[in-house]
Amino acid sequence: MSTVSWITARGLFGRRRFLLLFPLPVVLVLLAVLSRSFGVDPGEWGPPVLVGLGLAVVLPVVALIVGTGVLGAEIDDGTVVHILTKPLPRWQIVLPKLAVATGVTAATVAVPLYVAGVLADSVRLGLALAAAACLGALAYSALFLALSLLTRRPVLLGLVYVLIWEGLLGNFVSGTKVLSIQQYVIALADRLAPTGLLETSVSVPVAAVMTALVSVGFTVLAIDRLRSFSVAGETS
Amino acid sequence: MPEPTGVIHDIGYQRYTGPLLGRRHVFGALYLHGLRTAFGLGRSAKAKIFPWLVVGIVTVVAAGVTAVRSQIGEVVMTYAQFADNMSWLVIFFVAVVAPELVSRDLRSGVLPLYFSRPLPRSDYPLAKLLALATALWLLLGGPQIVMFLGAAFTTDDGLTGVWNELLDLLPGLLYAGLWAAVFASVGLLVASLTGKRAFAAGGVVAVFLMTTPIVGTLSIMPSRTLNELAGLASPSTLVQGVGVWSLGDLLVTENGGAAHSLIGDFGPVYAAAAVLLVAGCVALLLARYRKVATR
Repeated sequence: MSTVSWITARGLFGRRRFLLLFPLPVVLVLLAVLSRSFGVDPGEWGPPVLVGLGLAVVLPVVALIVGTGVLGAEIDDGTVVHILTKPLPRWQIVLPKLAVATGVTAATVAVPLYVAGVLADSVRLGLALAAAACLGALAYSALFLALSLLTRRPVLLGLVYVLIWEGLLGNFVSGTKVLSIQQYVIALADRLAPTGLLETSVSVPVAAVMTALVSVGFTVLAIDRLRSFSVAGETS
Repeated sequence: MPEPTGVIHDIGYQRYTGPLLGRRHVFGALYLHGLRTAFGLGRSAKAKIFPWLVVGIVTVVAAGVTAVRSQIGEVVMTYAQFADNMSWLVIFFVAVVAPELVSRDLRSGVLPLYFSRPLPRSDYPLAKLLALATALWLLLGGPQIVMFLGAAFTTDDGLTGVWNELLDLLPGLLYAGLWAAVFASVGLLVASLTGKRAFAAGGVVAVFLMTTPIVGTLSIMPSRTLNELAGLASPSTLVQGVGVWSLGDLLVTENGGAAHSLIGDFGPVYAAAAVLLVAGCVALLLARYRKVATR
């Protein structure tokens, strides 16, 4: 574990506000357990809990808070110069941070999704959801990490993407689904464990290629932006 | 011992002898400043992007609805339904504005400066809350006025048509006020917990988005009472429940019976819950600022 990832992990876990992330997965598991114990048909509670809550809210929101936090927090309080002035290639800064963000997001999201998936259908669905959520965590983290270097307001821009692009437009304009990480995750999970619970219009090859493209593309973009990064004060 | 050479010059310092404005004026100034901050007025162009993006989208939607109604004659959504359909944008707007209002002051540590004025502890959060609620009400009410104007000028029934439209508009505006009150109090409370705008925005969105699927799950439970009370779990469905109870057919145009069974006979419970939620959030906000100020 490199020093950069160690510092990043400590920066994430060392603050009290990180505890704010935990209610999200807990609610997910609670709802799944509640529905199961009441004996509701999984076909009814599966889509709102697994997709509506798990993949559409918990995954992007956790990825947004963590992904913009790993680098954005240091840029915000100006301590990023300490890392930038070390004789490290930029990719050795971006990649460990991306790894930490992906790992934390995947751990917080995949575990409750696995539990909910097992309760909804089978261990296979649980594993498929967990695996797809890990891939989604990578793609989201790469996107939000790059955002925190491209703009001074990464969280708000990320919210525009999550709320307006994926949430609002995804419901009305089906074409935007081709450019939505949430849909890739659903498509991949559905391919790994075909059930009637997950539905998407994006095909599996498109989802796989686009997930890889998003992950690699935004990581390369982040490394490139960090090369010519200028430190500035807080925006007005 | 040498003679003292220092001289005190009179360089014209004067005491302030003008009128001293009191608490009401501080409150008013804080409120006005908050309202301007909400829309990024008097600030850089960057601060205007996100609020005006939301304002632009709702205005375009309202214009589209008006155009469809005047051309085809089909009512896409009523005034009250407009607020419901814009709920995602309302959440985003709160996530943009609430941290601007309170988190910046927490982060830069200027609260002692505010409280050194003739300003009671409780006035600061109340002024901010009022500003946020007003901004939200303008956001939801403005487009309804656009829709009203469009309908009023294309009506075929003369003045009675305009009057009927007005009777439809007023409950819509009141309903927008309810949305504003609930979302402003919850959003401002969450935002006041942290000085980092990024985390405040994430927290606001998390609170509002997390609760919606809970409603979805509770409403398919095999208990009818639980189904009808499910809406209490999320601010937006709570507001909608109050709206269905108090506005009835203004909010639900097609198959009104189905929507009424959505909340059953629990309408008063929804109203009480909404009042309690707002009161509770305001109380917590006041408690929060008693603590922050003494730090």
